[in-house]
This record gives sequence, C-alpha cells and structure tokens, in this order.
Amino acid sequence: MSFQDLESGRGLGSRRDYINGKQDPTQAVASGIFQINTAVSTFQRLVNTLGTPKDTPELREKLYAMEVQHFQVQLYLAIGFGLIFLVMNSNAMPATDEEHKFCGEKYVTNTYFKKHDSLIDSQFEEFIANKIPLGLCKVLLDERYFMPRLLAVRRNLIGEGSHRQLSSSIRIKMQGESISKLPAQSCQIIIVEKLPSGVFADPFELQHLLHRGVFTDVTVLGDTNLELPSFRSNRSVVEIHLDMGYNMSSGGKDELEVNLRLPLHARYAPLGHGFSKVEFVQPDLFMRCGFEGKAFNGSCLFMPTNDDVDYKASPIVWEVPCGIKKHAGVVSAVTFLSAIVSALLIVSTSIYHSHNTIFQ
Amino acid sequence: MVLRAAIHGQISVGTSQTETTMQSTLKLATMQNAKQIVKNEDPPFIEVARKHKTTNATRGKGPDKQQAANTLVTCNNQNMSNPEAETGDSNLCETIKGAADIEAILRVFLILYGEWQDTHMEVRYTDVDYLVFSDAAALMASGKAPYERSTYRYSPLIAALLLPNSFLHHLWGKFLFSASDLLVGLFIHTILKLRGVPEKLCTSSMMVWLFNPFTFTIGTRGNCEPIVCAVILWIILCLMNDQLVQAAFWYGLVVHLRIYPIIYALPIILVLRPLHFQPSKKPALVDWSSRKLKSLHGSSKLRFTDLQYIQVFLTSIFNWRRLVFGLVSGSTFFILTGLCFYFYGWDFLDEALLYHLTRTDPRHNFSIYFYHIYLHYEQEFSSLEKLISFLPQFVVQLALIFRFAYDLPFCFFVQTLTFVAFNKVITAQYFVWFFCLLPLILPWSNMKLKWKGISCIFLWMGGQTHWLMWGYLLEFQGRNVFIQLWIASLLFLAVNTYVLINIIHDHAYCPVFKELNVEKSNKTRKHD
Repeated sequence: MSFQDLESGRGLGSRRDYINGKQDPTQAVASGIFQINTAVSTFQRLVNTLGTPKDTPELREKLYAMEVQHFQVQLYLAIGFGLIFLVMNSNAMPATDEEHKFCGEKYVTNTYFKKHDSLIDSQFEEFIANKIPLGLCKVLLDERYFMPRLLAVRRNLIGEGSHRQLSSSIRIKMQGESISKLPAQSCQIIIVEKLPSGVFADPFELQHLLHRGVFTDVTVLGDTNLELPSFRSNRSVVEIHLDMGYNMSSGGKDELEVNLRLPLHARYAPLGHGFSKVEFVQPDLFMRCGFEGKAFNGSCLFMPTNDDVDYKASPIVWEVPCGIKKHAGVVSAVTFLSAIVSALLIVSTSIYHSHNTIFQ
Repeated sequence: MVLRAAIHGQISVGTSQTETTMQSTLKLATMQNAKQIVKNEDPPFIEVARKHKTTNATRGKGPDKQQAANTLVTCNNQNMSNPEAETGDSNLCETIKGAADIEAILRVFLILYGEWQDTHMEVRYTDVDYLVFSDAAALMASGKAPYERSTYRYSPLIAALLLPNSFLHHLWGKFLFSASDLLVGLFIHTILKLRGVPEKLCTSSMMVWLFNPFTFTIGTRGNCEPIVCAVILWIILCLMNDQLVQAAFWYGLVVHLRIYPIIYALPIILVLRPLHFQPSKKPALVDWSSRKLKSLHGSSKLRFTDLQYIQVFLTSIFNWRRLVFGLVSGSTFFILTGLCFYFYGWDFLDEALLYHLTRTDPRHNFSIYFYHIYLHYEQEFSSLEKLISFLPQFVVQLALIFRFAYDLPFCFFVQTLTFVAFNKVITAQYFVWFFCLLPLILPWSNMKLKWKGISCIFLWMGGQTHWLMWGYLLEFQGRNVFIQLWIASLLFLAVNTYVLINIIHDHAYCPVFKELNVEKSNKTRKHD
C-alpha cells in the first residue's frame, strides 16, 4: 500500500484484512490507523489546493471521494476495535470444548454411562478409581506441582416436603511445592452427586438455573423420568461444573470455597409404614484445571486428596411420606362403593327427570 | 354477582313476585353502577332492563297461544316489532363490545404480567405445559420429532400450531389461546341467539364464561384447552346450521387432538334424526320462549318401554345424515392419525393416544382412584378391577345420553361433568371442558341464585379448596396425610354429584330441534 494507491482509491482494497479481522485484529487496527493518518494528510493537501490555479473539477471529485473513503475507514476501524474486544473476551473465557478434548469427555460421568446401564455404587467406585484419565496430569501430581486438598465438605438438606434443596459447601486448599511456577490456570470444580433411588433432579429446572448463571454447566444422567414412583425407576447422577476463575497463579488465596444448592424432588415412595427414608451418599469431587503456558498447555482432571473430611459423621436423610399398605383393602372397597353410589344417584335423577318440568 | 342476579331477574319473569325481584335487582344495579352515571345517561344495564320490561309486555300474551309457540319467533323478529327496543339493542351491542374489549385488554395484561413474573420471581406464572409445547414446537421446527421432549403427550398438530413461537415470538401461543378464549365467548353468544334467547340473557351468559377467573387464567397461562372448547362450540353451531360435513370434519379433528370428545359421538348421532332435518329446508330450532310449554316436548322423549318404538328406532338407525357424519368424522380422524403415525411412528401412538387411554397416575390428584392406584401400583391391575372402575362411568354416560340427547348442549354439559368426576385422573385444566358449556344451559335453568345457586357454587369451590389444603400439606410440608387427602377427594366427588343432581333437577328440558311435520303422512308413521 502506498500513498498513490490511497489517492487513486485502491488503498481500501485490502478490506479483507478487516473482515477477516478475527485472525489478525491488531494488524487490522494498525493498518486502519495508518490509513486514517494518510487520508487526513492527503485531505489537507487537497483542501489547500482549493481556490488555487491547481483547482480543477477532478480535484473536487477526488476530494468528495476521499470524504467517503474517510468515513469508510472510520467504520472499518470501529469494526476492527469491536473484533479485538470480542476476541479478548473470548480469550478470557475458558475455551471449554477445545481444552476438554485433551481429557476426553466434557462430562466425566458420560464415560461411565456409555458402558453401564444403571448406576451401581460399586461399579461407579471402580470406574473412578481406575478409568478416569489422568494422563499427563500424573506428571504434575507426581512432581507435586499441583495438589489440591479437600478441607471440608458441609452438606445440608434445606426445605420441607417433596421439593427440597441439597446445599453443599466445599473448601479446597490448593497446595503444591512449585505452584507459583506453574503457568496461568483456570480451574473448575466438578461435583458428581449420585442421587439415591427415591429422589430425582428435574433436568429442565437445572437448565433454567444454568441460563441464570447459577452453574457453569450441569447435566443429569441415568433415569430422568419425572413421573414414575421410585420402585419403577432407576437412579440418576447429577454432574455440576462450577467455575473458579483466574485467581491462582498470581499469589491469590490458596483456599477456595464453593457453595452450591441443588434443587431435588422426591418420587412417590414404596409402600411402608408412614415414612420412607432416603439416604444420600457422599459426592465425588474432581477438579479440572486448564493450564496455559509455553511448557504445558491443556487441561487436567484431578481428584483432591481427602484426609480431613468424614462424611459418615452426619448422614443426610430425607423422610418421604409413603402410602400405608394395610389401608389397601379398605381404600379400594370404599372407593368403588362411593363411585357406584354416586353413579346410581345420577342415573336415578336423570331417569326420573320430567321432561315436562314447567319453567318457573 | 350483579350479572348473575340479572340472569335470575330475567328468568323469574312473568309473575308478580318477579316484578319485585326485578325492582330489587334494579336498585342493586343502580347502587353498583352509580359511578357510571354521567350527566343524565343511565348505565347500559338499567337501559337494557327497561327495554326488557317493554318487550316483556308485548310477549306477555305469548305463552297462552299455541300458535305463537309453533312459529319460529326469534329475538330479531320481536325487536323489529318494537321500535323502542332497537335503541336498547344498540346500547346492548355497545355493552357487548365494551365487555369484549375489557376482556381482551385484561388478557393482554395478564400475558404481559406473566412474562414479568416469569423473569423476576421464583414461582412461574406460565404453566409447565406451555414450556413443554414450546420445546416440542422448537424441536419440530428443527425437523425432529416433538416426542423427544419428555412429557409431551399431545398430537403433533398442537406443536405445529405453536411453531411461530420459535421464529416469531415466544408469546404467540398464549395470544392464540387467549384469542380462542374470546372466540368461545362469541360462539356462546351466537348459539344462544340462534336458540331465541333474549339479547340481555345472551350477554349475561356470555359474561359467565368471559369473567370467570378460572377461564382467563387458563388461557393466559398457556394451556391449550380453550382451542378444544372453541372447536366443540363450533361443532354445535354447525349442527344447528345444518352444516353437516363441516361439523363432522371438526369433530374428527377434535377427537384427534383430545380423546375425550368421543363421548359426544352418540348424542350427535341421536340428534341427527330425519324428523329434525328435512331435505332443502333449514332445521327449525326450538325457541327459548317456548320453554314453558308442556305439550311441545311430549313427543320428543326417547321412550324405551314401547317395544314397537324400539323396533322402529333400530330399523331407522341408519339414515344418510348419520352415515355421512360417521364417515366424514371417522375418516378425518384416521387420516390425521395415520399422517402423524407416518411421520412420527410409534412414539406418537404411545404418547398421544395410548397414554391417555391407559393412564394410571399414582400421584395425587382430585380423582377418588388415586390412592387405590398408588396402593396397588406394585401389582398389576386385574381386568376385573379395570372393569369395575370403568363401569360406573359407562352406565352414567349411557343413562344421560338416552335421557337428554336431544337437548344437545345440556347433554354435553352433564356428560362432561360426569366424565371428569368419574375419571381416573382429574387435573384442574379438565374443568374448562364443562365451564365452556355452562353458559349454554343457564337460560333454561330453574335454579335460583339464592340460595341454591350460591350454595352449589360455594360447595364446589369449597370441596376443591379443602382438597388443595391437604394436597399442600402432603407435597409442600411433607406430612403423611394420604388418608385425609383421599377422603377429601371422596368429598369432592360427593359435591360434584350433588351439584349435578341439582342442575338436572332444575333444568327445563328443551330440545334443540323441532320435529318437522312431514308432507307425506306415511313417512310420519314409519319414522315415529
């Protein structure tokens, strides 16, 4: 690009730089600034020739064209800035799909459900112990660069009735010998809640919460039927991802606390003697951290070491009212009897209804 | 309250006692409408009441004459003979338009309020069903089956109706349902007018539907029931106007959309008698003003004691009208079902049709059967049990049909009410099915608002509220109140039965069609 190109109007032929600005926004902006500067000086030069013997109709036309070009350049510059802004924003968000491809599935439990049909605790524990891909991350763990540690997990069931919330508060300490030497990280906590039979999570409700920004990501796997009672349905698993943001590399706090509320609903319990108890098992916790640096680029899945937390101390129990079996005979008899009586009453009224009722 | 008083002011016409009730309702109206009195103008209500008095005077001699009752005297004819009434009529038209405008504005406001509540409050205004429809429509728009959305258990046509939700605006569905709500009001007015009900009574009955809080919340919350109600009323209208094929087509369509209108098949078939319809003549509709006559209804009873009558009935059961209706509606239903099956396979049949026929939901609902189903859910239901639970429903439906078939709107109403009351699953949205038919029978009801009418209304609402209280304790406070909830549902059935018996008892039976005198006397003997 040269001054002559600009004057003859071919300067902005490199519009392609702007439109494909996503690939090179800074260059696009730089060339835009250069063009504006050149256009301004050319414009000044041409304006100065107005009224002088060099003034010709062609000059005026050129001046007019330059005005238009100047406006176009400003427009493209604005687009360029906008694109830069967008690109910077997208760089700020964890690039979930690309990074997680490193570790395989986006959802940890997806791999379990590809092999097994329903949730059985022993199989799931085996899956977690053996099959979770740690890969290159083992290097980080072995070298003790990165050792997240579970400090405390407090869980509570809030609410009454058939619709309650499971609130969890998790504290993790990020420690490691050379943690400050690691490149910038962004971490996500992954909580895998294995729901007992008798309780389910509404996937649509969770999607609604996702849209409101309560979670980063959430999925329900397993039996998600909302209507069947518990003896006709299988267990389900809820996997929740919560972002923890950029606060690790630059000397931020090593302790992180996450609070979470999961809305749950009770299914119709099997028949019993009044109330049926539903007990919750401990959740499985993972951390997925994405590292960006020259030496190491990707994301890893970790399991925080768990020495301090004892779940069995205060188990969480939900009492769901259930039908009482010994009522069955009486209920059926009275139900059918009342249906028959009502039917007979209506039939007799209609038969004895006189079609010649005088309208009063 | 004022409007209902007005209806019964109308109904108790012709006796001295009524003059006093009319005076008292007028006074009540004046007090209530005092704000409306601007300058020297009376509010429309009183203007209309005054007009009724004058027409009453001219009609006062009607019931004494048999001939007057046998001619087709409609509202229009009367008004033309009474010039004073025409001005009253135009005021009434304005009243109707004013009411309709208020209703339309109210519904628009509620839809917009629903939007606000959805975004700002935890508890949503919109019904879950609306979200199900929208999701299913979005799936359909992207070429997939709507049945991928779990709990979508309707015909794909409903999802198709809501396709503009995806590309136009997500409130399209609510506006459509509210518009069909208003359409139902219009149809009620038209049907009553066709049957010769005076203008004011038509309007008051229409208000019973439009101003019913249950009605406007159900449309604005996004339930598709108003569309079904509108179609059923349109079918009645078509039958009254002798548009048989159209009625049959819409009937096939509505049975495809919702299975329950199949209970109306038999009354419609019965009503299509040759005596009601003559070739190249419009069917004559029985006028409202003749409801006081005794002798008119004598021959239109369905007598099943007379053996000869039964024989004649069975031999003439097939006439071309019934065949045409049956064929057109049947083929519409099967074509629609076949098309949906072709596009969506077994998913469609299982979710949209078979689910409703075999639905046994153990979760608590108004039905008396819910606890029985829950207690026996682990075991399979024997066919004997299924038969016993179906038998009361079946017997009652048959009895009502054979007694009231010729008074078509009343038959539909009582059938629907019993169908809902005896069904295995009752949800609140089923109530709209008979609410839309209630205004059609009010002009013929002897039931006074004080105190029978009010007691029926309050008992019915009380039964519902009582059940809801126990339901709340069970679901939101987690107490084991299954037995109490079940007793509450038994009480609700008792209340429904009581209300139904009273309605039947106080109803002045009035067939929709007159029996036309056939030219050849031989035919009269053959066809009864």
